[in-house]
Amino acid sequence: MGMHSAPRRGRPVRTAAEARFRLKRSLTPQRNGTQVMITVLFILLGFTLTAAITGSANDAVLANARQSDLVGLLDDLAQREARLDSENTRLEAARETLLGGDEYAALNEAKRRADALGVLAGTETIIGSGITITIAGNLTATTLLDAMQELRDAGASAIQISDRGLSVRVVGNTWFADSASGVTVSGTALQVPITISVIGDPTVLRPAIEIPGGLVDTVGSGGGEVTIEESQNVDISAIVPLPKS
Amino acid sequence: MIPAIGLLVGIVVGLLLQPTVPVWLQPYLPIAVVAALDAVFGAFRSVLDGLFNDRIFVISFLSNVLVAAMIVFLGDQLGVGSQMSTGVVVVLTMRIFANVAAIRRHLLKA
Repeated sequence: MGMHSAPRRGRPVRTAAEARFRLKRSLTPQRNGTQVMITVLFILLGFTLTAAITGSANDAVLANARQSDLVGLLDDLAQREARLDSENTRLEAARETLLGGDEYAALNEAKRRADALGVLAGTETIIGSGITITIAGNLTATTLLDAMQELRDAGASAIQISDRGLSVRVVGNTWFADSASGVTVSGTALQVPITISVIGDPTVLRPAIEIPGGLVDTVGSGGGEVTIEESQNVDISAIVPLPKS
Repeated sequence: MIPAIGLLVGIVVGLLLQPTVPVWLQPYLPIAVVAALDAVFGAFRSVLDGLFNDRIFVISFLSNVLVAAMIVFLGDQLGVGSQMSTGVVVVLTMRIFANVAAIRRHLLKA
């Protein structure tokens, strides 16, 4: 400690300078038993600190979730498991038939799958039961995109958007943008009023766009008008051209 | 100084080894860490108060950690584990704040 006076124990510091001095002195190395003990304790503290931090970072999401959230998550998982299970059974059955050596069955299966994928990818035309939605008045790309999500969630298998002359098939990479007189869908400028043709279960599709805050609500509050028609043969004729490979 | 280096060493070792906390220890570790921090801040304060005693520090450090863990364990057994840990954390945090305030008053006279 050199020039400084001997430690004055047992009374609080009087000045800030003395406080800093004491702090500094408490940090200078001293060699005795308890000092070693304290060092060991500090090593342990640092170690447990990082352990506690890295440990809690891993599953903090689940640990801090509320019980109702957890129940929801569990339900989700159970549902997904059930879906995957049924998918599994279907695929097993398909595999059985394919392995059975029946070429006709194999061909059928391939055809069925190509059709299903064609509908999803928008490379096949399709006629089936569904709904036709006509929108007049103001329409923004955001509203349209939200409506597409709602329809997809409601199990729509094919969607087409058209105005008086042009139609566009809605697939996975379709995009929407606002334009002066309507919306642009994947590069095709459509003028309002536009018509959305949807293949799917009409009893599910209709509530999906009529829910509060849904398409009908949004367009209605903007002064527009939406009409919905259910039909047994909605015609989706627009196709997405196959990319040249 | 040596304890401060020890703290750094502990942190570095912890970062390098990325230890996984055993499940039975998981509820107690954070509480124990907070309790230890309380002891450390208390020690700094007592240095400034002129009351620091390394033996007392070691004992208070260990007993703080043990008592905190024990209270949480007891809470777990009674079925109020999470409330108990919240209570312990609140109390310890209040003490840390009080200690830091005292240190600040000594150092800055403000």
